[in-house]
Amino acid sequence: MLRQFLQIAQFERRAILRRAFVNSLPVLMGYTTMGFAAGVLLSVKGGVSCAPAWSFVIAAMLVSGTMSFAIVPAMAASESFFAVALLTLGINFRYALYGFSMLAKWKGIPVVQKWFLVHSLADEIYALDLACTIKDPLKNRLYCLFNHAFCVGYWVLGSVSGSIAGSALPIPSRGIEFAMVALFLVIFTDQMKGFFRHHG
Amino acid sequence: MAEDVLHTAGIVAVAWAVTFGLRSLPFLLFAGRGRDVPPSVERFGSIISPVIIAGLIVYSYSALEWRTAWPYIAGVLVVVLQVWRRNALLSIIAGTVVYMCLLSAGCASNDYGDIVLDAAHPSIRYSAQGFLIGERYVDPRRVPSILKSYDVPTDRVIHILVDEESERDLKPARAFMGLLAHNGYRRSVLVTKKRAESHVRTEEEMALERQQHHAPSPRHASPSGKRQIRYKGASD
Repeated sequence: MLRQFLQIAQFERRAILRRAFVNSLPVLMGYTTMGFAAGVLLSVKGGVSCAPAWSFVIAAMLVSGTMSFAIVPAMAASESFFAVALLTLGINFRYALYGFSMLAKWKGIPVVQKWFLVHSLADEIYALDLACTIKDPLKNRLYCLFNHAFCVGYWVLGSVSGSIAGSALPIPSRGIEFAMVALFLVIFTDQMKGFFRHHG
Repeated sequence: MAEDVLHTAGIVAVAWAVTFGLRSLPFLLFAGRGRDVPPSVERFGSIISPVIIAGLIVYSYSALEWRTAWPYIAGVLVVVLQVWRRNALLSIIAGTVVYMCLLSAGCASNDYGDIVLDAAHPSIRYSAQGFLIGERYVDPRRVPSILKSYDVPTDRVIHILVDEESERDLKPARAFMGLLAHNGYRRSVLVTKKRAESHVRTEEEMALERQQHHAPSPRHASPSGKRQIRYKGASD
């Protein structure tokens, strides 16, 4: 399945790998720190035993920063599945729009690769995919795969180390739930700025 | 416990299913056809998502100490920083640290008065309208942290008074007990009004009560090892 990529010369594959890594460095900063905060929050407020394992599962499955925060109170309160579904729908609705700009680019790629790419189509990762200027579809896909793998790795790394720190160290936790509100406020502020730029 | 793990796993699975469903929606709708977002969909998205986020902000404030000014001060700080510096990470970390400092500096307090947990006059009540501590309605998810802030030990038996009209549907009350157990308070008990009124106070309890009337500050005076009945908030 990955054999297709052997059509690309080795030095070019390496160049794409390096380019994907360098471009993802800002995300490394953002994802590890935000993931760390989400991990700490889960370990101190999630009310679960073995928080690092849950952090890993949540980070790898959801690949969604906002949702990693929002799921913590839902877990602590044993919220109903319906309420969780509604919450997720509200928070992640924007993801339904991202795929539209990838339709042409990711046309006809093997289903497992497509699954992985779609599964991890989060905000920053999507932005990096869009910013990629490689025209050749095969090389572009390889770049996207590297990019997604790096970014998911950063997110998982940050989350798991955060929840390990949160369960092992006496991190002051009172009021840490404000991080989620702050995240929403930041998203809202940016949306408003964009809105007024277009309409105002 | 096993059920809890299953439910938590279910929550994660549901969140994943919805997230993945949303992400793959365009690929399912336009399978095989490469094209751009229809402008109507794009417009709908750009309007609906700030509305959703605004709703989430209001909703998530309810989990904070929203009766005090501090979460709003921290919130304004976040917005101002974000407009000024455009650094999401900086805004979030600064806002959260300021909020945590304000809270731990004692600016925000739990004003639930004294909490009584014995069977005769339990402060925690389950009524058809929701859960109360004393006379005030409270988000049940916040109760464990309130108990912790009152220094209630986790091995304390916690009586929850069930109002007569709510006796038929105990499901929320049981979920609440599960939530308490989740946070270490494994010994919670539901009490009906009849049972609470017929409760005869033991000698030990009466002695303790008498002792507490004389003690200048019951919160600090309670000797370790003895059963503490009344809990005072840190703000008193």
